[in-house]
Amino acid sequence: MSPADSPAVPPAIGDPGAPSTPSPTPASEIRRVIRWDLDKTYLRTEFESFGKLLRTALQRADQKVSFPGAPMLMQELRAQGGRICIISGSPRQMRKVLEEKLRLDGVDWDEFILKPNLSNLMRGRFRAVRDQIGYKLPALLASRNALGRPLPELLFGDDAEADAFIYSLYGDLLAGRIGEKLLARILEAADLYEDQRRLISEQLAVLEPQDAVQRIFINLERRSPPARFAPYGARVVPVYNYFQASLVALADGVLPASSVLKIAVDMVTHAGYGPAALANSLQDLLRRGYAEVGALTGLADAVEQYGSLFDVFRPARDILEAFVRRLSAAAANRPVEPPRPEAIDYLELLADTRRV
Amino acid sequence: MTSVAIDAAGGSDKVREIVAGAARASLDAAGALEIQVVGDERRITEQLIRMRHNPERISVVHSAAENPVRDAVRLAAEGAAEALVLTGPSGPAVAACRDLLTLLPGVPKAALSAVYPTALRHGAKGDPFTLLLDVGAGLQADAEDLVTFAFLGATYARAISQNESPRVALLAVDDDLSIAPPAVAQAAARLARTRGITFVGLLEAVDIPKGVADVVVADGFSGNTVIKLLDGVRDLALDLAGYAQKQRLLWKIGVAMLSGVLSRVKDLTDWEQYGGAPLLGYPQVVLRAHPDSDGRAIHNACRVAVKAVAADVPRGFAELTSQASHGAQDARA
Repeated sequence: MSPADSPAVPPAIGDPGAPSTPSPTPASEIRRVIRWDLDKTYLRTEFESFGKLLRTALQRADQKVSFPGAPMLMQELRAQGGRICIISGSPRQMRKVLEEKLRLDGVDWDEFILKPNLSNLMRGRFRAVRDQIGYKLPALLASRNALGRPLPELLFGDDAEADAFIYSLYGDLLAGRIGEKLLARILEAADLYEDQRRLISEQLAVLEPQDAVQRIFINLERRSPPARFAPYGARVVPVYNYFQASLVALADGVLPASSVLKIAVDMVTHAGYGPAALANSLQDLLRRGYAEVGALTGLADAVEQYGSLFDVFRPARDILEAFVRRLSAAAANRPVEPPRPEAIDYLELLADTRRV
Repeated sequence: MTSVAIDAAGGSDKVREIVAGAARASLDAAGALEIQVVGDERRITEQLIRMRHNPERISVVHSAAENPVRDAVRLAAEGAAEALVLTGPSGPAVAACRDLLTLLPGVPKAALSAVYPTALRHGAKGDPFTLLLDVGAGLQADAEDLVTFAFLGATYARAISQNESPRVALLAVDDDLSIAPPAVAQAAARLARTRGITFVGLLEAVDIPKGVADVVVADGFSGNTVIKLLDGVRDLALDLAGYAQKQRLLWKIGVAMLSGVLSRVKDLTDWEQYGGAPLLGYPQVVLRAHPDSDGRAIHNACRVAVKAVAADVPRGFAELTSQASHGAQDARA
């Protein structure tokens, strides 16, 4: 047994930390769990080179930039009874600056899990520093078990790491669709440490099975071709911006049209989105078959009903009205079918994930 | 925001290349651009989802037509697109523009142009090509048409090659005016006394590749014949080099020694880097991409379209013609 596998060292799966949110959602009001990754999902982060990684590590909270619409979407999901659980691969040492950034964005959260990178380094677990599966999967399962209630979940990740893989595997484990033998082969192929595998088994042993993961949103930060995520099925929705995510949430009945409107206004006023970018984003979703115009008709009504509230954000109101005029033209004539695989081939996808 | 419409016609491979070009253009960091790809929505989407692209800048306009060129041109006619990149054969493209677009004031007919690589560089950017027009929008041209083509070509060269004073020539069989066709002779006489145009006289086809003129004006029949012949000669030269390489060791060595030069010739004659040739005479920017265009060529055509819209070619044309008419009035006074 290697020192890294020593049972004397308590396994580190993540640091939920002390409740740091100023206003946790009362348990009775929680209707679903919303899990967010941070880097490249919520925050524009660059760590493709050592220099960029260093710059990111040294950034102050006010220097960090969130993706257009992400803070507003998080707020709106929370307002609809979402329990916000942040699970990030950033080291625990960044907790203070990351929490400060969220506060600057006006975002409240209920759970904040960070990766024990320093601990991994100190214990010589260099594989664990880079790996996300061995960290996120047990942390997700532990967080789920701590809930104690069968709640549906929406997950947010990005195309830079293995988020689609981890979230899908997590969703299928919750639903009881992955047998022990297959899971063992997947974890073996993923090269997890023994204690990480043990931790996953322990969490699964007490898990209440439920097909809880409704949607997995993948922010295409790298502009990866959406077809890359087809093997994960229609549950995984690759999105190019958070207006698209909010539209899918509207079509799924998770968000009301007024929330989508707020997100659009936020993107118009803070990120310079115009009617063409909004309409094209919508059309892209329709063409990919992730929503139907019929499910979005509330949007035009909402612009009419709430439009005057946004007068102070001019030209946002004009832009939204122009967008609504393009709404009908955006209807897809012949959308492609969203991907519907028979079963997800995790072993094959793991190999793909390692290649990306 | 510049809106560019592209017709995506043809077989699967061609649609894939067109969509690839649009996808690349959507990722260009510089410039505000919206691309409308016109064609079979599902076929386009099936390609698009396999490519890196920015969907915020791309929309698909469904067209059930086998050749969606008319639907693309209609977008420009209705004001929904400022520029067109037309990818199909030139005949239907020219016809669709003629039927659906309105010519600029003072333009009796449109002129299809082609860019041809030359030995000399042109303009502030050092563009390595001459603009030849008309190469087939019409077959015949009278003196009025040729003079208008000269203005259109000079305006485009000013805008795109940043050539403040492009040298304009008329295509002829000799530089002797007395043996030129009447339309060419009359046009030459008018251009020679026109302010704002640097007219360098008549030019034989053999001098086009030398680059002694930035804009060469011809009637559609002659222009089309010349451009196709030049293309044929270029292809033949490259074929011969390939043939020689396979025949004898000595020839192979010779070709190898010339490989740098041949590569340069290939670069110069690589129409893909120029993107497309403009159909001039309309308020909208109309670029006709080569029918064999790949993604890179379509991407370059989109770039040129954005540049041409920003340069406001119609306004440049109006200014140039106004300058010329004032010159004519001054001369009469």
